[in-house]
Amino acid sequence: MSNSKRLFFIAFLFFILKANAQECELSIQGHVFDFESKLPLSYVNVFIQETSVGTVTDDEGNFLIENICEGEYHLIFSHIGCEAKKRHLVISKDTLLNIELPHSATSLGAVVIHGKIDNSNTQSSLSINRQMIEDNSNKSLSGLLETESGVQLIKNGSGISKPVVHGLYGNRLTILNNGIVQSGQQWGNDHAPEIDPYVADKITVIKGANAIEYGAGNLGGLILIEPKSIGTEPHLHGQYNYTYETNGRGHSMNTRVEKYSPLLAWRISGTLKNYGDRKAVDYFLTNTGVKEANFSVKLEKSWKDKLFLDFYASTFNTELGVLRGSHIGNTTDLEQALTKDIPFFTEPNFSYTINAPKQQVSHQLAKLKSKYYINEDQIIEFVLAGQLNDRKEFDVRRSGREDIPSLNLKQYSFDTELSYTRRFKNAVKLKFGNQNNLTDNTNNPDTGILPLIPDYISWKNGFFSTLSTKVNNAHFNLGIRYDYEYQNVLTISSSVPKEIIKYENEFHNVSGLFAIKVDLTNTQTISFNAGYSMRNPGINERYSNGLHQGVSGIEQGDINLDIEKSVKNTLEYKWLPNTKFSINVLGYHQNFTDYIFLNPTEEIRLTIRGAFPVFQYTQTDARIYGLDVSSQFTISHSLFGILKYSYLKGEDNKNNVPLIFLPSNSLFGSFVYRTKNAIKLSKTVVMDAPEIELNSRLVFKQNNILPEQDFANPPPTYHLVGLKASTNVNFQTYKIRCFIKADNLLNVKYRDYLNRQRYFADDLGRSITFGLSFKF
Amino acid sequence: MKNNLLLIASVLTISLLFTSCEKDDPIIPDEPELITTLNYMLSPANGGDMITLSFQDLDGDGGEDPIVTGGTLAANTSYVGRLELLNEAESPAESITEEIQEEEEEHQFFFQSSISDLSVSYNDEDSNDKPVGLSSIITTGAAASGTLTIILRHEPNKSATNVADGDITNAGGETDIEVTFSIDVQ
Repeated sequence: MSNSKRLFFIAFLFFILKANAQECELSIQGHVFDFESKLPLSYVNVFIQETSVGTVTDDEGNFLIENICEGEYHLIFSHIGCEAKKRHLVISKDTLLNIELPHSATSLGAVVIHGKIDNSNTQSSLSINRQMIEDNSNKSLSGLLETESGVQLIKNGSGISKPVVHGLYGNRLTILNNGIVQSGQQWGNDHAPEIDPYVADKITVIKGANAIEYGAGNLGGLILIEPKSIGTEPHLHGQYNYTYETNGRGHSMNTRVEKYSPLLAWRISGTLKNYGDRKAVDYFLTNTGVKEANFSVKLEKSWKDKLFLDFYASTFNTELGVLRGSHIGNTTDLEQALTKDIPFFTEPNFSYTINAPKQQVSHQLAKLKSKYYINEDQIIEFVLAGQLNDRKEFDVRRSGREDIPSLNLKQYSFDTELSYTRRFKNAVKLKFGNQNNLTDNTNNPDTGILPLIPDYISWKNGFFSTLSTKVNNAHFNLGIRYDYEYQNVLTISSSVPKEIIKYENEFHNVSGLFAIKVDLTNTQTISFNAGYSMRNPGINERYSNGLHQGVSGIEQGDINLDIEKSVKNTLEYKWLPNTKFSINVLGYHQNFTDYIFLNPTEEIRLTIRGAFPVFQYTQTDARIYGLDVSSQFTISHSLFGILKYSYLKGEDNKNNVPLIFLPSNSLFGSFVYRTKNAIKLSKTVVMDAPEIELNSRLVFKQNNILPEQDFANPPPTYHLVGLKASTNVNFQTYKIRCFIKADNLLNVKYRDYLNRQRYFADDLGRSITFGLSFKF
Repeated sequence: MKNNLLLIASVLTISLLFTSCEKDDPIIPDEPELITTLNYMLSPANGGDMITLSFQDLDGDGGEDPIVTGGTLAANTSYVGRLELLNEAESPAESITEEIQEEEEEHQFFFQSSISDLSVSYNDEDSNDKPVGLSSIITTGAAASGTLTIILRHEPNKSATNVADGDITNAGGETDIEVTFSIDVQ
């Protein structure tokens, strides 16, 4: 072929293509199936953002969109209970797609119960997706997890909450923010994790026996806060979210923008929150406002698919009011508060003002993670991170000292992690690594109050190794970990004159894990976890000494406390017979030797403020066991349901009494109705099928406690009802999501056992939240 | 690249290893707010020796037990009582009484006795004409023995029912002081 002929031929080809494109005769054909069960998914909405053309999959999960012009498109797949999936496509010819949606295992807009998603995952876990996070952005990080089975919250009023997994919290429960162990004052029951839920795309709770790779001290549970990777979408994308909540007259807003380019991929996110006094059914909860301002940056860069760098930095700043009426001077005050129908200091009017008692907390995090693929089977990862946690707590004080914090702690921590992963043939995966942590905790002496927690430096160095493999239909996971911890603690004696007493401690902790998961059939799996772990006593458990006014007691550490040991076993059964039904049953039993807890003693100590009971950190042998059940079912094409139940019991085996401060049993149910089809509002504007959700949560009275173990009897069983309506409107490349939801719809008066504010006031009354998000 | 990375990693890990693990000595905070001592000085209205009831806890909330000194009062007698609050952990001792005086609207003392014949009334007023209790009058009746409890409330609601008359029931606020003395009326 001569040159001119060749040119002609190319021009001819071009002409044909061009003609074709102009006539817009291309098609996209596809098949949508369930990620877990691999069964076809019907009634999935398939929609081209740019042209607003859409269709619905048939009974076999097939769809066909015809008459498409050549070009770039975004295809959106949405289905009840699934997070919508977006695909960027360049269409130049007829295209065939296979799309997987995580459906049957997804609870309705709620939790993904990991089943076969990650075959090597032998530990039971649950997770919350981005839409759920956005729809609940009026809540705190912990609040998002509240309705999940096996997860409860410890609260101090409505603004301060921390998660409890299988009865464990604080020092015993690790929270990983972006792969970094959240450092902070985790010992305090009134210290909430300093994380903005808006940065997360997924929150996972691992409920299995042990998490070997994630630092020492976690005795079972683990919470992972994960932003998703920025991906390779070359356009500028982002979203604005705004919610308004009637109870507290609270505004929250978040903006997030991201863009990928081969040079650098970036994402920034900023959040502002302002809440005023919350309201119980009959009165305002004076001084319970919350203000928050957060910002984060994520940068990603890769070189030739070999080296991946991921930088993340965030700042979290909050001011949290504590119910004025819960600030008490002594036990007499507490007894009096218990008899009051309306707490002391309740103001008749709403206010955004936050006075003492309050907390001001800021948390800064910077991390750099690098991942290097030596080849397809070998990966080296190196992580470097620094955190600064600055906590100030303000009390009601005399002589204008309210502006001086009563507690002012600065905690720096630095982490490094180096790990190596090797994949062998026959599905064997080996990983080992080393982790370092240096924590430096300093009190500001200007508080004018002896510190409850002393100054200290601790240094941890841990080695871990995990091995996973598959033999026939059984997945195995083995892990072992060793940790060394050094502590240099400087306490101030309460004697006259005051002296500085130094302590140096060294601890050696070992933990191990054995996990097996067997795929009994295509639709049934059973998994068993056994984990042994050791946790050395925390600084508070050994050295706290003094009056903890918030709990109206004198807390005394014990410098002779020994390492706490635990054995946790879990057995989980999953059955996903079809896309219409699934059930998940998880039983667990955890046995503790030398379990550390704050024990009320018989001693009453006289101070100038009156007499206070003495609480002493003590060790005992204990066990916690329970059952989590969750089930999802499809009643018809437009009606879906979910049920979750958590049962938990804890006992002190040595003294034959119940363990105090453990979650109550609870039952959660939710029904979602979704109209069958998307509604076309105009040629270019399409509304996704609107959804209505009715949910109900029943929290039983904590009966597993003796009257002498607490100041007040546990609150009675309560039942809350919620209602939510939501829809998405799509036009061109934009998506608007609107929702309205009511929490405590029936305005029920209740108190929760794990809410410290229950001694003083009722919990929140009815609240209505309006939410709007705009995505581009 | 890989070698560089490993090098950086190991340097950083090693530098952490050698970071000083000795923490500097903390500064012992001053405790200006601490109340170590309460003295209730009673002068008989008709002259005579002053009686002092005192509560002293020099090391604060923990440590050694406080020293509590009760007293013997004469029957059918009136005393003018003056309260003195000190922080004796400081040297020289700091007067907390002055702080209370400066914020008298936000403070009120309450007196409770197990002796039914013993009564205490207020002998001072704040700028809103409500009692404070730094000065009081104690009147004894027939001979008896029992206790006298002195309570200091911070930010009470002085306008609540009966609070100005010395009834603590509706006062609210936080207790800053609650001390009990044994009393003999002879």
